[in-house]
Amino acid sequence: MALSTLIQQMVNGVTLGGMYALIALGYTLVYGIMLMINFAHSEMFMAGAYVGLFTLTGLTNPKLVGSGAVAFLTKNGIGLVLLFTIVFLVAGIAVGLLGVVIERTAYRPLRNAPRLAPLISAIGVSIFLQNAVLLWVDSKALPFPQVFPVIDLKIYGNASISTLQIFILVSVVLILIVLDTFVGKTRIGKAMRATSQDRDAAGLMGVNINTVIALAFFIGPALGAVAGIFNGMYYGTVNWNMGFLPGIKSFTAAVIGGIGNLRGAMLGGFVLGIIESLAAGFLSTGYKDVVAFVILILVLIFRPGGLLGESVVEKV
Amino acid sequence: MSMGKFKKYLSVVAVLAAVALVVTGCGASTTGGGTTGGTAPVSITIGIGAPITQGATALGLGMERGAKLAIADMNKSPEAKAAGITFTSTTGDDQGDPKTGVNVANQFASNPNLVGVMGHLNSGVSIPSSAVYSRANIVMVSPASTNPQLTLQGLKNVFRVCTIDSVQGPAAADRATGDLGKKAVFIVDDSTPYGTGLADEFGKEFTAKGGKVLGREKTGDKDTDFKALVTKIKATNPDLVYYGGVYNAGALLSKQLKDGGVKVPMMGGDGLYDGQYIKLAGAANAEGDFATSVGLPLAQLPAGEKFTTEFKAAYPNDEIAAYDAYSYDAATVIMKGVLAAAGKVTAAKVTSPEGRAAVIAAVAATNYEGITGAIAFDANGDTTNKAITLYVVKGGVWIPYVK
Repeated sequence: MALSTLIQQMVNGVTLGGMYALIALGYTLVYGIMLMINFAHSEMFMAGAYVGLFTLTGLTNPKLVGSGAVAFLTKNGIGLVLLFTIVFLVAGIAVGLLGVVIERTAYRPLRNAPRLAPLISAIGVSIFLQNAVLLWVDSKALPFPQVFPVIDLKIYGNASISTLQIFILVSVVLILIVLDTFVGKTRIGKAMRATSQDRDAAGLMGVNINTVIALAFFIGPALGAVAGIFNGMYYGTVNWNMGFLPGIKSFTAAVIGGIGNLRGAMLGGFVLGIIESLAAGFLSTGYKDVVAFVILILVLIFRPGGLLGESVVEKV
Repeated sequence: MSMGKFKKYLSVVAVLAAVALVVTGCGASTTGGGTTGGTAPVSITIGIGAPITQGATALGLGMERGAKLAIADMNKSPEAKAAGITFTSTTGDDQGDPKTGVNVANQFASNPNLVGVMGHLNSGVSIPSSAVYSRANIVMVSPASTNPQLTLQGLKNVFRVCTIDSVQGPAAADRATGDLGKKAVFIVDDSTPYGTGLADEFGKEFTAKGGKVLGREKTGDKDTDFKALVTKIKATNPDLVYYGGVYNAGALLSKQLKDGGVKVPMMGGDGLYDGQYIKLAGAANAEGDFATSVGLPLAQLPAGEKFTTEFKAAYPNDEIAAYDAYSYDAATVIMKGVLAAAGKVTAAKVTSPEGRAAVIAAVAATNYEGITGAIAFDANGDTTNKAITLYVVKGGVWIPYVK
């Protein structure tokens, strides 16, 4: 296998891994604070892709915003930056708010219930959202318009990286750094960490638990929404059950990295993406999931807490 | 019983009553017809088994459209009125999934008025469902399942009006090596019975005709990421990529191939032959891609124009998909079988065991000039019409390929 093929597979893997990492952050953020697995998170990814698609088609529709504005937004450099800033902001905020509403209606009433109850509630929300999109939008897949200028840049031999891949990678890395700083360095971040360590004690120390939980349920889904738009731009379609497979994979990534650990989720996402691409490229496409899940099992056997997770001794 | 408990009890009863209303409301979808000789017409139900919400929905919704059009036409016909039979339909959403398909099949089998099923689309769904229908003495006519295995199970009740993959795959390979002059192909399938079978048949004939198969890869029918596969394909430098599978994933593969710099056409079977394929891949990426599909193009068929006009009147907002006409024919074949059986055992007895056997026998003896051509079945239940057409994407639409 030529070196350029290896490099190309790494580029594929890192881009895929970046998207997994963004979704995995949502799982891990909620798990860290609530100790629950938010199975509706894959639908945040899907909802983000749809909101992004509608915002994008709305803003590039000459009938709605005028042909001059469309030309500015799609042809001009500043216009493109403006267009995608709006698309990502609208989708991030809308889906973030959706996450907060879901927490308020489906999870908060069950906060003191047995741990299985919110899990079932999450599966219910997931099915509800899928079917809502199925009935109200379309059962068919919708094409995602290619507005972003995609240009291939040669990096080594036959291997190339596209402007879209660079855009996705740079955005993912920036988001990861900002989130890591936010949780590690700010006051509200400290409150989040405190809540994650001991919710009751944090409440007694004056941390507003409800605000912290709502914030986790805003940031997680907003990141999922961003990943959803990247997915739409990268693969060119959205459909109502698009969240399922990436959801499972990203959850796996969060577990590989150590669920509840933010840096672990990022690492897990990239590890999973790269392993999948290399397995597909050097073994066979049919084996990529086999290899990915064998790695998961190995991690769980030898480091049960995940790559960066701490093994917590069960408190008696 | 305390007042509070009583209220709770009342609300449960109210909910149950509401559910019962909705259920019976759905069940009573009998289309009214005239009465013959003072007796009410016998209502016979045709099951439509197709992917409606998940899977290849563009094709599945087309199957439902075609079958419903056939039923409406048949109910207006003098033959049905003379026999004193009104046909109704019930749609089962199999989601393109074998497990869901078997659930649908069991629901159909528990309906006492249902004697025939027009379906299913995916071979992977049709094969396990056909066993359920066989046990319930229900005749099954598939408009679209092309895997040879379906009719090789030795079941007497299974028929199809479309050509099979052991005809379609080799025909595609003949055109690829002949008219298109392709020499080196990379073959990908979606791991379903349909996709795998078609890709196998294509590969065998392609090699037999002197072509070279550079590689063979399996993917999933719900996969979206093919980037790693594309990189692998690119390194082998093929002049054609063959995909055994359905347009949902196929369109993504075509787009990612062209994005990844593999600038050769992709070719596939009837599963790709839908406008949705071009929409999802992007017209520029799909341009020049090939697909074979069963039968002749509607425009070349004597009854094609009449069907197109009628279709446009009934569904002004829809395009004719690959299987609309086949589903029309499949449903008509079943209904003609029912009418023939009614002539033997009387209309009231069509749903009895002997009536059902008579329906199956009548369908086996079908000899009818349908929309898609002459329809008759061989000993296995396969259609004797073996025509295959090669289509190409040109200017953003599928057109029959002319050299």
